[in-house]
Amino acid sequence: MNFALSEDHEFLRDSAAKFVDEQVDLSPLLRPGADVSDAGYDQLWDKIVELGWSAITVPEAYGGLGMDYVDLIMIIGETGRTLAPSPLLGTLSGAWAIEKAGSEAQKSELLPKLAEGLKLALAVADENGAYDNMDSDVTAKPSGDAFKLSGTKSFVVDAASADKIVVSALNEGRKDFFVIDRNAAGVDIEVLQWRDITREVCKLVLNDVEAERLEQSSDDVWPWVRDRMYLVLAAENAAGIRMVLDDAVTYAKERIAFGRPIGAFQAIKHQLANIAGSAEGANAIVQYAAWALSEDDGQGSLAATMAQSYTSEHYKEATHRNIQVFGAIGFTWEMKNHLYYKRARCNAELLGSPASQREQVVRMLEQEAA
Amino acid sequence: MDFNLPGEDDPRRVKVRAWFEKNPNPTYAQLAEQGWTASNWPEPWGVSADAETQFIIDEEIVRAGLELPYTINAIALNQCGQSLLTHGAEEQRQKFLPGALACEDIWCMLFSEPSGGSDLGGLRTTAKRDGDHYIVNGHKIWTSVADEASVGVLVARTDASKPKHMGLSVFLIDMHSPGVTVNPIIDMTGNKNEYNEVFLDNVKIPADALLGREGDGWRIVMEQLQTERVGMTKPGVVWGMGPTARDLMDGLIKTGRISDPLLRDDAAKVYIEGEILRLLTFRNMTNRINGTPAGFEGSAGKMMSSPHGQRMADIAKRSQGASGMIRDPDVLPLPNKKWGMFSNWDYAYWFSPANTLGVGTQEVLLNVVAERVLGLPRDSDPTAKVPFSELSGGLAKAAE
Ligand SMILES: Cc1cc2nc3c(=O)[nH]c(=O)nc-3n(C[C@H](O)[C@H](O)[C@H](O)COP(=O)(O)OP(=O)(O)OC[C@H]3O[C@@H](n4cnc5c(N)ncnc54)[C@H](O)[C@@H]3O)c2cc1C
Repeated sequence: MNFALSEDHEFLRDSAAKFVDEQVDLSPLLRPGADVSDAGYDQLWDKIVELGWSAITVPEAYGGLGMDYVDLIMIIGETGRTLAPSPLLGTLSGAWAIEKAGSEAQKSELLPKLAEGLKLALAVADENGAYDNMDSDVTAKPSGDAFKLSGTKSFVVDAASADKIVVSALNEGRKDFFVIDRNAAGVDIEVLQWRDITREVCKLVLNDVEAERLEQSSDDVWPWVRDRMYLVLAAENAAGIRMVLDDAVTYAKERIAFGRPIGAFQAIKHQLANIAGSAEGANAIVQYAAWALSEDDGQGSLAATMAQSYTSEHYKEATHRNIQVFGAIGFTWEMKNHLYYKRARCNAELLGSPASQREQVVRMLEQEAA
Repeated sequence: MDFNLPGEDDPRRVKVRAWFEKNPNPTYAQLAEQGWTASNWPEPWGVSADAETQFIIDEEIVRAGLELPYTINAIALNQCGQSLLTHGAEEQRQKFLPGALACEDIWCMLFSEPSGGSDLGGLRTTAKRDGDHYIVNGHKIWTSVADEASVGVLVARTDASKPKHMGLSVFLIDMHSPGVTVNPIIDMTGNKNEYNEVFLDNVKIPADALLGREGDGWRIVMEQLQTERVGMTKPGVVWGMGPTARDLMDGLIKTGRISDPLLRDDAAKVYIEGEILRLLTFRNMTNRINGTPAGFEGSAGKMMSSPHGQRMADIAKRSQGASGMIRDPDVLPLPNKKWGMFSNWDYAYWFSPANTLGVGTQEVLLNVVAERVLGLPRDSDPTAKVPFSELSGGLAKAAE
């Protein structure tokens, strides 16, 4: 038993921290009316690819770095802390879908391109944000050797800037996974006015789009990928809680009211102490989930689901408290407080609400007990 | 990083288990001979167990069907005994520790007074040196197990000319000394006299009952409270002891109550919190094993676990509805473990308001975390720098 990070982990985290601190600049987003197109995430992506992060968990056999999920969260913690805008989440999700649903040949063809900067997205949710819709989702029709996809997907992260998109579609009563080219005929992508302007989130309308079926598609693919996406969001959340806590603490030591720093008032102190508790708890559950998924230890799914539920609930609360501590200035567009508030809120809906994940947790425990 | 807990075949575990097989139903004195009632203490008292070995030994004690020694003699083994290792004289160790470790001499903690518990530094009980002994006068209250205790860890004022935190000293007193009167106070559970008030009326105690030096009291007491709080981070329902949210969830599933939609989500929340507290406990252990300076643990852990326990006990009760309002120890099924007085949900629930009072109130802990962990400005205390004897009102008079 050893619940501490290794020196390698700390080194990875520290070098990632140095990178994002130098490269991430949120200031263009702090002008009223700015949207994700001002976030400059293309430039950052090129550098991320140079660092190898685009293929960080891709197995070495497929040209990736083959690192585990604890390594991954060292990096996601830093991109999450700084809200670094880049197509990393979309790419990681698409890569996991291919890793799980692709045949050997498909994996050998697609995964090595990640190290060269291939950008991916994963389209699972329907227009209403449901991930388990079996009725009016995108449908796949056989067409020669390939398939044609038609229908609408939404809440697809990083779709507009992706090179290829992995799409789940109804095929003979099953949900299978398919790969399409972003620029294929019949693909129509709308960048949504997603409130978290550090993230690109899109709607996808497909009209007879040529698609390749991932040959190992099965019912296990989505839950497997979702656990990993939970982990990524949870790692962002945990780092975000720490960040807004630190910012609020610094501010509370500087801002004076009634002749004292506002941090001397218990009403402020107690709020911040409680957030310090959530920050520590969030960090612990995220590390545990990353370890459990890396070890394939049987508790991985439960841990990842708990991590996403806990961290997103507490991230929402922490970013709200953070604005409260700053007072009216914290409510302006020109401060970055709202970027965190929005990231937190959007992360708590993107893959379902914290309450929906708690429902999953209870079901897993009921199953275990049965 | 490795979250695997020591397995069934861990050689340390095998050794401990073999002993229990040879010695079924041991007394605590026998456990103490093995050094297992405070295994983390150095020899000859303990076995210098690192945090992981201590964890194994504790698990095996529970497995053997025994209540953990440090819940039976908490003040000695969890809070105050360690002070004798750092601040005590060898004669004091020889005199007090064997009985404590065997759980034969129960200790109590004479800190709080009627005039205030949070502001402990303002206490009024005095100990005046008189030749080769001290004369103690004062009134302590909320003293857990004082009615069973033979040893009292007393904080008293030895020098009122100093500011309030500076003139304090710690003594180990014989609770059966003439002048010590213990009156049980029935707490709101009505089950048991959880605590007592203790009158100290010209109690004569030998000078060598002083722990450390005169004036060291505040420092020693703070160390003791910190040790106590670290133990309380555990995910048990009351102060880290008793059933956990795992046991709660188990019970809710077994009884089918989990399908109540008005309970289900809250139960899940508490379950997740419990898992996180478990992880924080293990992180504390790792830090101790690795010698990493304690950071967040202690006050912060208690700050999180106390309200968690209250929420947990509340859900156990809610699962019963109105029937739960009848005195009934069998609210939800529990595994057959010995947790001492918190071995049933009914008692744990009615006891739970104390979670956020004892060992530092929630408000005081939030202050401590904000000030010590986050570095926010200290609360002001206009009485902190003034010689105690110059403070107005009854305080000064009492100290004279
Ligand atoms: C079950 C139980 C067992 C106990 N066992 C022992 C024992 O064995 N030995 C012993 O010595 N004591 C014991 N105590 C006493 C305990 O330590 C005190 O109750 C505690 O320190 C609070 O002191 P008080 O009750 O005098 O409340 P007060 O200090 O009078 O506090 C009253 C209220 O004011 C708040 N308050 C006080 N100061 C501040 C501040 N600076 N900022 C914000 N709010 C503040 C408190 O949080 C509380 O809500 C026990 C208590 C309980 C409930």
